[in-house]
Amino acid sequence: MRERPRVLRLVTALVMAFLLLPVVVVAVFSLNGERSLVRMGALDTRWYRTLAHDGDVLSSLAYSLEIAVATAVISTALGTALAIGLRRASRVPARTTDAAILLRLVAPETATAVALLLLFTQLSIPLSTGTLLAAHVALTLAFVAVLVRSRLANLDGQLEEAALDLGATPLQAIRLVILPLVAPAIAAGALLSFVLSFDNFITSFFATGIGTQPLPVRIYSMLRVGVTPEVNAIGVLMLAIVTLVLGGSWAVGRAVSKRRGVRI
Amino acid sequence: MERFTRIWNALLTPGALVLLGLFLVPLALVVVFSFGTVDILGRPVLGFTTDNYSQVFQSYNLPAVWRTVLFSLATTAICVALAYPVAYYCVRFAGRLGPVIIVAVVAPWLVDYLVRIYAWRTLLSDGGIINNLLGDVGLGQVHVLGTSWAVILGLVYGYLPLMILPLYATLGTFDFRLVEAGKDLYGTPRAVFAHVTLPASRPGIVGGCLLVFLPVLGDFATAQFLGGPNTTMAGNLIASQFTEAGAQTVGAAFAVVLIVLLVATLALTFGLARRGLAAAATAGAAA
Repeated sequence: MRERPRVLRLVTALVMAFLLLPVVVVAVFSLNGERSLVRMGALDTRWYRTLAHDGDVLSSLAYSLEIAVATAVISTALGTALAIGLRRASRVPARTTDAAILLRLVAPETATAVALLLLFTQLSIPLSTGTLLAAHVALTLAFVAVLVRSRLANLDGQLEEAALDLGATPLQAIRLVILPLVAPAIAAGALLSFVLSFDNFITSFFATGIGTQPLPVRIYSMLRVGVTPEVNAIGVLMLAIVTLVLGGSWAVGRAVSKRRGVRI
Repeated sequence: MERFTRIWNALLTPGALVLLGLFLVPLALVVVFSFGTVDILGRPVLGFTTDNYSQVFQSYNLPAVWRTVLFSLATTAICVALAYPVAYYCVRFAGRLGPVIIVAVVAPWLVDYLVRIYAWRTLLSDGGIINNLLGDVGLGQVHVLGTSWAVILGLVYGYLPLMILPLYATLGTFDFRLVEAGKDLYGTPRAVFAHVTLPASRPGIVGGCLLVFLPVLGDFATAQFLGGPNTTMAGNLIASQFTEAGAQTVGAAFAVVLIVLLVATLALTFGLARRGLAAAATAGAAA
């Protein structure tokens, strides 16, 4: 009996090392004073200084942030409305939408991304910020819908029935009863859409036109041409941004739930 | 219940239209154009030909299709083998450390995927960090980068958390007193594991396998950065047909093959799961 945890602990430690090793390599080599990706020189912030003056990368970063915020706003609004409507909408549209959401979640991203590209070329829509945003919304919407729907499924469906019986209009029932109750799932959906969009490579790769590229696509082009350790600094910067967004919203969520006296 | 149906339908509509217009219609287009032809400028036009499919199953593409399936299966199997002990340890033995380990498992996702995969490239390359270390210890060099092993390593690395999370969730609801009970009934540890713990963790294993196997089928960045000319996967072929000098119709046929593989996997999994349930129900009824 005492033997088994030792083996399990060893495997767990090795798996964690395996998963964290590249992250450590990225972080350490972002501070490399030399131009090498394999030999560590003196600690230096030169790649961060390079990054701070790299206009292309900085505009890609700003572009990615804009797209991620816009995606989060649109996907959260549409996905939440969809999840709320899904419960009581007519049978056929509800069933069909349900199936489409599931299919969307399991479809390989490469296939759906080229499918969108095919649609845009067929409709002669030039690739632009609009096509990129549409592609990101189409990708993240289903995640929001699933999150909100599972939260709704755990709620007592009679609450909104009661509100309606007591004379509330459906919109009042949604605003005063449903939305406050599913707020945590909506917030989680918004965050997930933001992160999925900000980090997304495959879909962006096919939906980006000429002009500014979103950051992951920019990184891809940089890696293909010839690598500078600047890429490591970009990786750390993206890590910092996502951590800040997630940590910040976690803190806000905690403060809100504390003030309301609700446990989320 | 029937009240206000129009309002509920109205709420559903915008999101449903996005899914229809930007997901279902494009997928249908892929299927349609996989039977199409290209004009002189290489633009896809409607038609009916099975040439694209014969091109997909050309002898020079066939290895890539098989390789994709093989890599996906190998990745999934390795992920189960690695993730199960981790999830088990976190739930049963790690105590308060368990959730911390799970957070550490997910944390790498916060670094851009391409940057992390590239870090593996620098780790594994012939003059890279691992080989330098091996050389310093006098163990000689290993040539990994560009081989199938490097691609599988990268895929396992990228998708392992998706196996650990569902297993952790499933084992978290497992009552470990059942293991004690099994031992009290003179079950060997192996028998208890096979007859009690493993069947109870089946939902997590199935869920994790789908979460790993399906996206790996379509992956192309891993093979591009860690693989070589002999490790091309279906995803790479689709990507190159659409971005480089290729025919979009052939790429579409590739995508259809990928989707068929996916649907077959899902059908097989759920068919087996249902049969397993039915068998269990009959056994239960018989008992």
